[in-house]
Amino acid sequence: MTQPLIDVAGLQTHFPVRKGLLRRVVGAVRAVDGVSFSIEKGRTLGLVGESGCGKTTVGRSLLRLVEPTGGSVRFDGRDVLAAGSAEMRGLRRRMQIVFQDPYGSLNPRMKVRAILEEGLVIHRLGSAAERLERMTRALARTGLTAAALDRYPHEFSGGQRQRIAIARAIVIEPDFLVLDEPISALDVSIQAQVVNLLVELREQLGLTYLFISHDLSVVEYVSDDVAVMYLGRIVEQSPATRLYAEPLHPYTLALFSAVPSVEPDRRRRRIVLTGDVPSPARPPAGCRFHPRCPLAEQVCRQAEPPATVVDGHAVHCHVAAREVEQAGGDAAAAAARMAVLMAANGSAMATAT
Amino acid sequence: MPLLEINNLVTAFHTPAGRVPAVDGVSLSIERGKTLGLVGESGCGKSVTAMSILRLVAAPGVIEAGEILLRDASGSVLNLVTLPEPRLREVRGGRIGMIFQEPMTSLNPVFTIGDQIAEAVLLHRDVSRAEARGRALEMLELVRMADPKRRLDEYPHQLSGGMRQRVVIAMALACEPDLIIADEPTTALDVTIQAQILDLLADLRQRLGTAILLITHDLGVVAETCDDVAVMYAGRIVEQAPAAALFAKPRHPYTIGLLAARPERGSRAADRATGRLRTIPGMVPAPQHFPAGCRFHPRCAFARLPECAGAMPELREVATGHFVRCPYADALGEPRRLDESREHIA
Repeated sequence: MTQPLIDVAGLQTHFPVRKGLLRRVVGAVRAVDGVSFSIEKGRTLGLVGESGCGKTTVGRSLLRLVEPTGGSVRFDGRDVLAAGSAEMRGLRRRMQIVFQDPYGSLNPRMKVRAILEEGLVIHRLGSAAERLERMTRALARTGLTAAALDRYPHEFSGGQRQRIAIARAIVIEPDFLVLDEPISALDVSIQAQVVNLLVELREQLGLTYLFISHDLSVVEYVSDDVAVMYLGRIVEQSPATRLYAEPLHPYTLALFSAVPSVEPDRRRRRIVLTGDVPSPARPPAGCRFHPRCPLAEQVCRQAEPPATVVDGHAVHCHVAAREVEQAGGDAAAAAARMAVLMAANGSAMATAT
Repeated sequence: MPLLEINNLVTAFHTPAGRVPAVDGVSLSIERGKTLGLVGESGCGKSVTAMSILRLVAAPGVIEAGEILLRDASGSVLNLVTLPEPRLREVRGGRIGMIFQEPMTSLNPVFTIGDQIAEAVLLHRDVSRAEARGRALEMLELVRMADPKRRLDEYPHQLSGGMRQRVVIAMALACEPDLIIADEPTTALDVTIQAQILDLLADLRQRLGTAILLITHDLGVVAETCDDVAVMYAGRIVEQAPAAALFAKPRHPYTIGLLAARPERGSRAADRATGRLRTIPGMVPAPQHFPAGCRFHPRCAFARLPECAGAMPELREVATGHFVRCPYADALGEPRRLDESREHIA
């Protein structure tokens, strides 16, 4: 085992809920509530989940753009959460982020030159001539020319702006990128271009990615490993090929079946979950998914499911744990059983409402 | 006879920079009780087409040409383009209901859910307030809202995104319209909530026989919900066909490219081995800069020059009910190699 580049253990990011004249803290939104994963150098972890599940907060917590309230984050062996401001600046040169909305993430009053140069100046990288060379190189890598330097963001299309945002992230030559829904705001024909660019950069520069997205197909394509989040927790985590071939968690199964597909043979019976995601300020007791889960039992309402791990495929679910045990540790057989159970109970539940 | 028939619609915006023809000669028809999917990327004119049907295009947009015919059961026809405003108001929300992408833009934050649905009924029906409220409750039950009695007295901010969209659907259905125009109704929602809403729309269509014009950029949504599909590119329809035929055998290079650009489930191993996702190079042109000839030709991997840059191709029938605006659709050969060799449509 090589040492992971980034190692996250028990990460918690709670936001205080304040009320009244004195703005007293009356509770907490547990956006991220005990998340653990690690990513080895050169690999990509896909983090999927629906809005409000905490996936964006995880990404921001790693770079301390929001302050985590617990747990640990180690980057290349160094404790990120304990780093002072000077050490943090050094770490941020190696950890960068690309945001979803290329309209909001680029300052409209700054020319592309200023946008790209800012990071180089902050980190005191190179002379003026070297900086220009680095900027030109970063633009070339993202498919733009040096002519872009003297233009403003509004002169570019959405896809080109996202290329500029990626150039800004790679110009200081980081090792690790958090990609927070990098293609969601783009048109379908442009999405594929940007995905290809990201895969290419990973190969050329040996980058490590945390790829955050709600788009399951793109995550499957880009990622080596995938973690599924629900209400502040990871519910299932595994190498991508295994997760997509043999999903074990009822939420993952429902999520997969909900994605509309153009291939008729994939348009199998949809498992329709009832209700909405509960508020992370008041997460349900026991398994957090139990109020929406068609397979929920008594134990699911009371006890939090621990991780069941089969060959590096981890799932937090009481029912799945039992199926894995009954199948004698055969994940494929357990996954097939889970699919049958969900199909039988999931659709029955949908018609009942 | 179709319920709604659009013939050669032209809607243009007159801006200081010049005339921008967002919709440039669109013809469509929807049969009673059927669902038509109108697909395209941003700026292709699909939403302006929908807004034109109810003459809701905001200034400086003007419907410059074409007719929009709405038939009723007895066969009498209204042309919505020339219909006087007071009579058009009876059609809006009466015979044609609307659902938009972001439910909060259609809901008033200071009125209760019950009042808002009842208002739609009172506008179009000669009923008492109490009857309208009764109808509102009925509609909330119809859209499978949990605890509908209590919801009547709640405000939009008390509901989740999925529940708000159910309220908007209840409002759109309150006057039993013949047609619902749904503009990206699930785009703002999560996939599990999207599944609930699509399920609901399909069920309602079956029970009430309402026709739906579904506008979306998501080909998967169209494949799962629509009877027929029209693909728009740069203000024009480039392909139109029954959904099954279109997805089984897309004919226009743009449709082929759109379908190929999406990674499908299980595609990973195959695509990774060969390298990259297939892409459509370049970007959608702005209406001020529509290219001459076929508007897709600068991005088309099959383009033949100079023919494709010459005259605008006609929409022609290549198989029963399958229309394509490409003269080479039956005999697309090898894709021409584009600037970036891997960016081709296979």
